[in-house]
Amino acid sequence: MTMTPASTEGQGRAAPAADPNPPATEPRDWARSILGNQQFLLLVALGALILYFYSKRSVFLSSGEMANILDDFCSLILLAVGETFVIVSGGIDLSVGSTASFAGVIGAFSMRGMVSHNDSEALVLVVGTIVCAAVGAGVGLVNAALINWLRLVPFVATLATLGAGAGMAIVLSHGIPIGDDTRAIIFSQAKVGPFSWPVFIVIGILVISWLYLHLSRYGRYTFALGSNEFAARAAGINVRRHLVSVYVLSGLLSGLGGMFLYLRLGSGAPTSGAGDELRAIAAVVIGGASLLGGSGRLSGTILGGLILTTVTSGLIISNVNPNWDQVAVAVLIALAAALQALRPGRRRA
Amino acid sequence: MRDRSSVCSIGARRKATLLVLASAGVLAACSSSSHSSSPSTASSGGSTATSAAGASGSGGKLTIAFNMGAEADPFFIAMNQGAEAEAKSLGVNLIWQGDPSQYSPATQIPIVDQLLAEHPSALIISPTDPDALQPAVNQAIAQGIPVVNVDTHVTDLSKVLSFITGDNQQGGAAAADAMAAAMHYTAGQTYQVVVGASSATTTTNTARLAGFKAEIAAKYPGIKVMAEAYSQSQPAVANTNVNNWLTEYPNLKGIFAIDGTNASGAAAALQARNLVGKVALVGYDAYSTNVALLQKNVFAALIAQNPTEEGKLAVQYAVQYLNTKSTSGIPHEQTLPNIVLTPNSSAADLAQYTYPTA
Amino acid sequence: MADAPLYEAVGISKSYGHVTALFDVNFSVNPGEIVGLVGDNGAGKSTLIKILSGVHPPDRGKIRLDGVERTWKSPHDAIEAGIETLYQDSGLAPDLTIGSNVFLGREKLKPGILGRLGFLDQKAMERQAAEELKRVGIAVSGSRRTVSDLSGGQRQAVAIGRAIAWARKVIMLDEPTNHLGARQSIEVLSVMRSAKEQGLGVIFISHTLPHVLEVTDRVVVLRLGRVVRDAATSEFDAESLLGTITGLIEAS
Ligand SMILES: Nc1ncnc2c1ncn2[C@@H]1O[C@H](COP(=O)(O)OP(=O)(O)OP(=O)(O)O)[C@@H](O)[C@H]1O
Ligand SMILES: [Mg+2]
Repeated sequence: MTMTPASTEGQGRAAPAADPNPPATEPRDWARSILGNQQFLLLVALGALILYFYSKRSVFLSSGEMANILDDFCSLILLAVGETFVIVSGGIDLSVGSTASFAGVIGAFSMRGMVSHNDSEALVLVVGTIVCAAVGAGVGLVNAALINWLRLVPFVATLATLGAGAGMAIVLSHGIPIGDDTRAIIFSQAKVGPFSWPVFIVIGILVISWLYLHLSRYGRYTFALGSNEFAARAAGINVRRHLVSVYVLSGLLSGLGGMFLYLRLGSGAPTSGAGDELRAIAAVVIGGASLLGGSGRLSGTILGGLILTTVTSGLIISNVNPNWDQVAVAVLIALAAALQALRPGRRRA
Repeated sequence: MRDRSSVCSIGARRKATLLVLASAGVLAACSSSSHSSSPSTASSGGSTATSAAGASGSGGKLTIAFNMGAEADPFFIAMNQGAEAEAKSLGVNLIWQGDPSQYSPATQIPIVDQLLAEHPSALIISPTDPDALQPAVNQAIAQGIPVVNVDTHVTDLSKVLSFITGDNQQGGAAAADAMAAAMHYTAGQTYQVVVGASSATTTTNTARLAGFKAEIAAKYPGIKVMAEAYSQSQPAVANTNVNNWLTEYPNLKGIFAIDGTNASGAAAALQARNLVGKVALVGYDAYSTNVALLQKNVFAALIAQNPTEEGKLAVQYAVQYLNTKSTSGIPHEQTLPNIVLTPNSSAADLAQYTYPTA
Repeated sequence: MADAPLYEAVGISKSYGHVTALFDVNFSVNPGEIVGLVGDNGAGKSTLIKILSGVHPPDRGKIRLDGVERTWKSPHDAIEAGIETLYQDSGLAPDLTIGSNVFLGREKLKPGILGRLGFLDQKAMERQAAEELKRVGIAVSGSRRTVSDLSGGQRQAVAIGRAIAWARKVIMLDEPTNHLGARQSIEVLSVMRSAKEQGLGVIFISHTLPHVLEVTDRVVVLRLGRVVRDAATSEFDAESLLGTITGLIEAS
């Protein structure tokens, strides 16, 4: 997958000279070129899913139902965005779900104290957000330290923090949700147009993340690191520092995800984010990123997340046996993996 | 029996993660696990023996080893209080020990083995898995140590002295009654209700749901169970489920939240849509968070188990058997009825049945 | 220090665990000089290059640039000092475009506030990359193509082009003619000659001895991590160079 924004002007200037090594003519059959456009396929799939559920239950296209899907999408996508940066950089972060739980529990403790002091709701939520983000970033820092200095592979390092974060969340909370913050639930439901305001915050985060992943030097380094770590280092990039920043970013977004769960549930529970690492990774993989690193698009992750949450809600609303949800996710991942296999093979330089 | 969701989810989901990454395969997630669900779970702790530690020999006193799933789960803290009080009044030593934070046979088995090495007079155990803990129970019995099961049981109960647990079937029926009362059920009218469970394979959930449905069939023909869904032990998933139901069934009258994750998910959905008092939400287990929401009328009723009594009876039966060497008067299986808490319950009742957190 | 070599390694030793890759190696290159570095597989050539480019720190020994002792903490330091390297194992990121690879680590940012926020001026980079590659005689059509879409030779060409384009003092090429066809190999030799004409110090590693004899001014022969010969190219012919490499001819 190329990372240059598509634009063809100037192409003519690029190399007027005869190419000494004309590109090997690759068989580009129609299947490959259509299947190669993952974004397009994802859009078609999303449209088809929406139409299917709509045909089963017309209420599926109501604004109320869209709001339900977006509620679910918002808490998932923050984790998936961080996961996209990590996967593009050639790593994996299994701790995002557990970090969301852990940060949510710590945030809930700090907010509970303030709620009982009757501090203003806005202040409570601002403090909670800062605490959640800080706790998340801290977990990211631990991940990076395990990877950079203890030389653990990301899978093992983040599996360890997954266990530690979830365990600590349980220990601290005694396994039960912390807080019963009705004010937060109602506050977060305030609508701006058809959707509640947190949706717009998430959209803002998505736009900024997209810009930084695809158009900035930070994003370029992330792709370079995942594509060929040696090349990145040899080109003078501070690979370790960049890796730290990627895991901290992922942790920070997971912490914010924990705050979103708090707003939804009015509490921070040690199981709030349990298993969400799977959904986040699934969104990224369905979105077309390679687990080998170096490729992926945030728009793909967003579509992947929308597809996952649409399926979850669609199955509930059309009263299908809910166990199919997991089967559906598995099928989607398998399809995405098959598409990756069909794409032109990446030759490592 | 009770539920321990998050622990289940940590262990089982981790396996699932590996599975997915290895093969992009099936998301087995938590559903494979056979216990469980509820907000709570395992938890913390730290301290091990709460009361007189020490082996069997201390001064000729009887020593009862009590091994539970996860020490600081409020459910087990309540059980500990009952057991402790009974041990004190009977003048026996109690060794209270379980993993601080993990509800899993992998951590439970070594703890039982170590307890048995101390040759206690009796073993009371709450097995985290019916098959995995069977060998440990068999070994105890072979050593001449009588075994009591509490809350959950091993597969083969034939040589176990007694098994004491909450009655999930009765709890489900009580939930139906409480819901009907909260909805002011009148014959001839129709009431749409839904049920949120943690997973299809959680046996406690199935028993509660069966009791709920049987009671409706017998007494409330107007109540229609429109849908059931699983939270996979995640409150956010339960919340999504309930949000969708509220969109799909604008006239929804009742929600039975079988476990704690569904309780928090449903409670949040009702509060977000200002439906508190309009949809009768009945939950399970008297965790402090649930009781706080009950006092805000978010729950119409809570079905509380009685772990304190379970712990007390377990110690009582063990000591009775050790003293008399006879099983007479000791029920082989005993199910304790659940308690229904409502916003109108007395403060004393709420205080008594809320599971303590320390 | 007027006579100090441009770039110099003194008494370099390096082991990987039990393997002694380099032992007490002295090596230097002068401005406007092409030095050939030859030796059998595993002789330690790439290891020496990686030490000189800041990838590995040496266990022992000193590095001097313009007579001044330097320590590279990372490749970044060496690049900053004007030393460019073509690595034997690829230094390109296959998922990035040609232009992005040429500018990797020295990205051009957009002017003004966008630049200060870290946004890339991708168009300018693609344009300049194409020009740079053309200037050094390497034209691969379309600097927007992803490197993984290129043939092995085309990739090699891009990597050489990048090194030549950025080098200010020293350029080190570790088997640059790998993957290249006969015509492209000849082109690489002429690229080296023009780098030399610009006053750069050029270090050339190759197993193709005729190329070495043709283009270099001096040849350093490594065997089992030691320098066994350091002499003007004119002192070798094909046979004696091969003999020195293999050890059939003992160092004189
Ligand atoms: N990263 C490494 N870890 C361990 N040993 C290494 C490493 N790199 C090189 N070596 C060893 O160091 C020695 C020198 O290797 P080096 O790559 O420098 O040889 P070379 O002269 O470049 O050979 P070739 O002509 O095959 O490229 C070899 O024995 C090699 O096995
Ligand atoms: Mg080499």
